[in-house]
Amino acid sequence: MALLQISEPGEATVPHAHRYSAGIDLGTTNSLVATVRSGEAVCLPDEDGRSLLPSVVNFSNAQPLVGYEAQAMQTSDPLNSIASIKRLMGRARQDVIQLGDVVPYEFVTSEGSNVPRIRTRSGDLSAVEISAEILKTLAHRATQSLGGDLDGVVITVPAYFDDAQRQATRDAATLAGLNLFRLLNEPTAAAVAYGLDRDADGLIAVYDLGGGTFDISILRLNKGVFEVLATGGDSSLGGDDMDHALGEWIIQQGGFADIDAKLARHILLAARQAKEKLTTTESAEILIEYQQQQWSGTIDRQQFNELIQPLIQKTLTACRRALRDSGIAKNDIGQVVMVGGSTRVPLVQSMTGEFFEREPMCELDPDKVVALGAAIQADILAGNKPDSDMLLLDVLPLSLGIETMGGLSEKIINRNTAIPVARGQDFTTFKDGQTAMSIHVVQGERELVSDCRSLARFELRGFPPMTAGAARIRVTYQVDADGLMSVTAEETTSGVSADIVVKPSYGLTDMEIESMLRASMEHAREDIELRMLKEQQVEAKRVVEAINTALAQDGEILLSNSEIAPIHQHRDKLEAMIETGSAAELKQLIKAVEDASEFYVARRMNASVQEALAGKQIDEVDV
Amino acid sequence: MNPVFDIDCSRLHAEQQRLQSTYHPDRYVNASDRDKRLSVQVASWVNQAYETLQDPVKRSRYLLEINGADIPDDSTTTSDTEFLMEQIELREQVESCRHGQDGLQRSDQIETRLAHRAEELAREFVSDFEAAEFDKAIVSSRKMQFIQRIQQQLSELQFELEEF
Repeated sequence: MALLQISEPGEATVPHAHRYSAGIDLGTTNSLVATVRSGEAVCLPDEDGRSLLPSVVNFSNAQPLVGYEAQAMQTSDPLNSIASIKRLMGRARQDVIQLGDVVPYEFVTSEGSNVPRIRTRSGDLSAVEISAEILKTLAHRATQSLGGDLDGVVITVPAYFDDAQRQATRDAATLAGLNLFRLLNEPTAAAVAYGLDRDADGLIAVYDLGGGTFDISILRLNKGVFEVLATGGDSSLGGDDMDHALGEWIIQQGGFADIDAKLARHILLAARQAKEKLTTTESAEILIEYQQQQWSGTIDRQQFNELIQPLIQKTLTACRRALRDSGIAKNDIGQVVMVGGSTRVPLVQSMTGEFFEREPMCELDPDKVVALGAAIQADILAGNKPDSDMLLLDVLPLSLGIETMGGLSEKIINRNTAIPVARGQDFTTFKDGQTAMSIHVVQGERELVSDCRSLARFELRGFPPMTAGAARIRVTYQVDADGLMSVTAEETTSGVSADIVVKPSYGLTDMEIESMLRASMEHAREDIELRMLKEQQVEAKRVVEAINTALAQDGEILLSNSEIAPIHQHRDKLEAMIETGSAAELKQLIKAVEDASEFYVARRMNASVQEALAGKQIDEVDV
Repeated sequence: MNPVFDIDCSRLHAEQQRLQSTYHPDRYVNASDRDKRLSVQVASWVNQAYETLQDPVKRSRYLLEINGADIPDDSTTTSDTEFLMEQIELREQVESCRHGQDGLQRSDQIETRLAHRAEELAREFVSDFEAAEFDKAIVSSRKMQFIQRIQQQLSELQFELEEF
């Protein structure tokens, strides 16, 4: 009912206590959790003082192990120690097969589900369930450290994540029992961590080079409002490629032949160590000893730079494209923020600096910066910083389209469109008496549906039978602030809305999520019921309070006496039951009040928007 | 209100951000489900209004729409031979930048020329629209749309040329 309070943003009806919140960087290799404490964002360490949590989960025993312990078991128990699960989030069986040589796990798909599951000793598990274990561990760490339950969290996702991947991340949060305030793009989080929102207005480039991915985002900052103008990148380009380039050099120099998987791993590890050494020294020794083969050599930074130069050049090409997408000239960029472990490489810093003609920002730990930014955003969303003007406006990372005749994708919403956004489309029936139709939604930039990513098939059912071509079916595609899409449909001549059955192409269905939730909650049922009652009581009080405040403000202006009466009646009924009613009863009564006042809320909203538009700005806009 | 074509785009942007500061879903994280839903709707509406108004072609079409003008869809062909010839010539010029050493430089010249043409057509639109000659205004709007498409093609081409 907060919208009823819109005209008084400063006055909360109930002064609330400090809410606990956390920011979570759910990474491919490592994950982190951070929170804002005494006004400062800090990463929360485990009992041994380590902030990083390796994103590895082991399922050998009934109780899953997460982090370093699971990582240590990777060699002894590879099939039950799951790493890099982020790469499988929102992915289908076909994608998993492509990853076949990278991961050793045994995949199974069950009847009636598109979601590949990994066979472990604890059962067949989806990526969502495995990620939820990581989230639970981090949330537990935060709860212990803060000394209270989390009101909500912000979880970061790569800017290029599509709808299915974002939905999978959201599902993992639900399964972990977390209240997800928002999914936040990693680059935006980084800019927030650097406190750029306090800066003068300007344009920011966030350059994020991790182990296996590269992301570039162009942000505009204007009076505390961050706006993502464009994002781009390469989902298979990162520090690992540098290791490979150096590894190939070692193989060439050492004249290695008959390279089996074990030797390859050996060489890659040596390459990685040399790369890390070269960030601070001018040269590095490399020693490879494997069975009969032995080689030692030295590489200096100049040689290393020559090896990796083409890789970095590729990232700069992506930067140029993002600049063009955003319609921004290179020298308009005011700040360049560096994120991801690979930005420690000196050549990355110097080439990026040269490209943008600006010294890049790299003072914060590039591994932590995303989690820190997420914590700051979570703190604001929790309502702990009522004075903050900071607002993060996002864009859709990939275009949404629908399948049309001939397997072509017709774009409904283009990429880099500001979200939330809604688009309507009119369809008609092509057969007499047709009462259903199906819409296939895809995401991606390519022309052919087969080159795009299938998101879901929506079956619209139950519109009234008419002669062919007479029905007008208005389909509305709504993308929310997290970049997730929903579809509604209505036959406009009769006003009948269609039932929609969603068949997600890759994600878990609502039913699957629900049954997982039920299983994990069964033993905690009593707690939950009590909590639900408490929540409904709080909500009921808030609704009563809000309606009273609103009515006192403009009830007599916007409503006639006969319109006020039913609102009063429902409000009084609810108020009388707050202490004695059950959760379900309260929920029903709250809904009754909300339904009775729905037109009033809409009227207030219109009045408020009108007021905003009719203010000084609109006549300026329209002069 | 008397909506017109010539607007201050930086003020439009400030206004969009001001409205988002109030109605964006991030401001309703702790609100009821219905309020969350309403805020998504309002924020979407604000974004759509901004997108329509900040683009000259969409803005011209919107102005025509709210004045009851019936805009034909893209498939309708123009019978304006002079403009048809101009279209063909511009397209040929853009394509010719692919060849020869100074392609990028020539593309810059075309860019300037297109920008002038866009302004010219916008002025034409304004005078047609203000005179309530909507049929003529529709034609001007269509021409603006065509120039915009060529500008996009040119921009893609410039990107390709810069790459090599």
